[in-house]
Amino acid sequence: MNALKYTNRKLSKFAMYIACACLVGLLSVVIYGVVLRYIFNNAPPYVEQVALLLVISVAMFGAAAGVRDAGHIGLDSLVKILPARIQFWCSVVVNLLSIAFALSLLAGGYLMALSTYASTIPTLGLSEAYRYLPVISAGILITLFSTEHIVALFKSEKVIPSWH
Amino acid sequence: MALTVLCVAFLVFLILGVPVAFAIGLSCLATFYVEDLPFETAIQMMTSGMNVFSFLAIPFFIFSGELMLHGGIADKIVNFARSLVGHWRGGLGLANVVASTLFGGVSGSPVADTSAMGGVMIPIMKREGYSAAYAVNVTTHASLSGALMPTSHNMIIYAFAAQAANGVIDGQVIRGVSIGDLMFAGLIPVFWIMVCMLITAYWQAVKYGYPKREDGSTGVERFPGWSHVLSTFVASLPGLGVIAIILVCILKGIATATEAAAIAVAYSLFLTVIIYRTMSTDKLLRSLAKASKTTGVILLLIGVSNMLRYQMAFLEIPDVIEQALLTATHTPWLMLLYINIIQIFLGIFLDMAAHILITTPLFLPLAIQMGVGPVQFGMMLLLNCALGLVHPPVGSVQFIGCAIGNISIGEATKTAWPYYLAIFIAITLVTYVPSFSTWLPTLLTGHPVL
Repeated sequence: MNALKYTNRKLSKFAMYIACACLVGLLSVVIYGVVLRYIFNNAPPYVEQVALLLVISVAMFGAAAGVRDAGHIGLDSLVKILPARIQFWCSVVVNLLSIAFALSLLAGGYLMALSTYASTIPTLGLSEAYRYLPVISAGILITLFSTEHIVALFKSEKVIPSWH
Repeated sequence: MALTVLCVAFLVFLILGVPVAFAIGLSCLATFYVEDLPFETAIQMMTSGMNVFSFLAIPFFIFSGELMLHGGIADKIVNFARSLVGHWRGGLGLANVVASTLFGGVSGSPVADTSAMGGVMIPIMKREGYSAAYAVNVTTHASLSGALMPTSHNMIIYAFAAQAANGVIDGQVIRGVSIGDLMFAGLIPVFWIMVCMLITAYWQAVKYGYPKREDGSTGVERFPGWSHVLSTFVASLPGLGVIAIILVCILKGIATATEAAAIAVAYSLFLTVIIYRTMSTDKLLRSLAKASKTTGVILLLIGVSNMLRYQMAFLEIPDVIEQALLTATHTPWLMLLYINIIQIFLGIFLDMAAHILITTPLFLPLAIQMGVGPVQFGMMLLLNCALGLVHPPVGSVQFIGCAIGNISIGEATKTAWPYYLAIFIAITLVTYVPSFSTWLPTLLTGHPVL
């Protein structure tokens, strides 16, 4: 458990650093596009595609970090009125279902990356497969974070968020 | 069969407490499996749902709101509001309403608004002899205006959800919805909510004799003079400038909504780092991290909603609901009443973003048939969703307000009915008086807005 906790703490921080860096990059590239268009009357064509690659990274890494820090929106008010034992098993099932979703992201993202590998993103020349890298990464991270939550539940421990 | 799988799986996952985005994603994937469709197509739909240039405005609006929240802009707005109306009976309550409305425009988020305004105003109000429940209710309900302000990321979410809207109203062809039109449409309803809240806060203050201090005095503050009002206004003006920047950029065609949102972030950074010098590195990192995480949660929800939209269209769910409601009535005013009741009911359980994404494709086509355009419907929907933020069991804004005021949800809810009534009046006006939300955008943009 300690190794998983340690690894996930690091991974969660790493995911947030990537998400933050991509958000800063996103802001910079959009403002760069506006400035070039208005001052130099020359809007670079790659701005939109770079921004779209960055936003998917912010979304997927941010969403993955949100799983470890219990940041996702859920309807838990109905479960909360149930006895403690049933609440416990509901939490286990919720985390197992989160793993199922994460594995779908992982497998679906991988298959999409394979099938789009030969195509290129317009104006960038990069493979379309790059669009699915954040999806695959989020699949791996959410699986690890949800596993940590399940182990913590059985050990009656709490997962301490890396980011408050 | 597929329809049963989709509905049952979604409901079961939701009741179990699975995060809404995962619940939608998993129930759609189960339906793809039943329909024997390749499941990687579902992942492609999710990714393409997030990969839309207009959505870049969402992280920018969230980040700008976080910067304003941590950058101390709230204090300056409170000072102005207090100097303007603080000398009336229930003055701090009225100042709270004005400040929460203005900061709602700066942050675009009822949650950020309540965190900022509640943190400043609720402790002051309690100390000055207002009940905690009054302070919490005034703050939380006045903060709802943030959902209808031009800086609201929920408007962008609605614009996405309504992009497939089509139909004809009074000979005018409807094709999707313009984000600019939505931004202008919210201003009059916001002003009306503020007026309703001012009346309610004043009436409650008179009824309960607020402020009621511990030493028994009930006197109100002295009017500080118009020069003080002016100086506090000037001090708060740069913070409020973010609303003007967005509106002017869009109205004059200087930038798109996404670019205007990016400019708003740059302006917020300039203001809090250079001008006010209130933004430390730690606060900046916190704002960045919170914005990234919230963006992840919302964009994932948008991505999976794209899968859901496909499934709903494939299984003809909007048609089923439309037929069911049309069987009940063909009278437009009654139909709109039914739609509002269903939306208010769903708002009890669903968070705002999920609510918008799920219900827009279901009810917008029907509303268009009843002669309600997508802009007017958007205002109705946003108000209905906003109401869900201030009542149990998932009222996130109410949770924050109660946590700051150190009272239970039950205590706040017991005395909240006059504030609910004020919001109901606003919803009724937006629903039955189209010009309430369409007159201003029509006037400013020069084209008819429905």
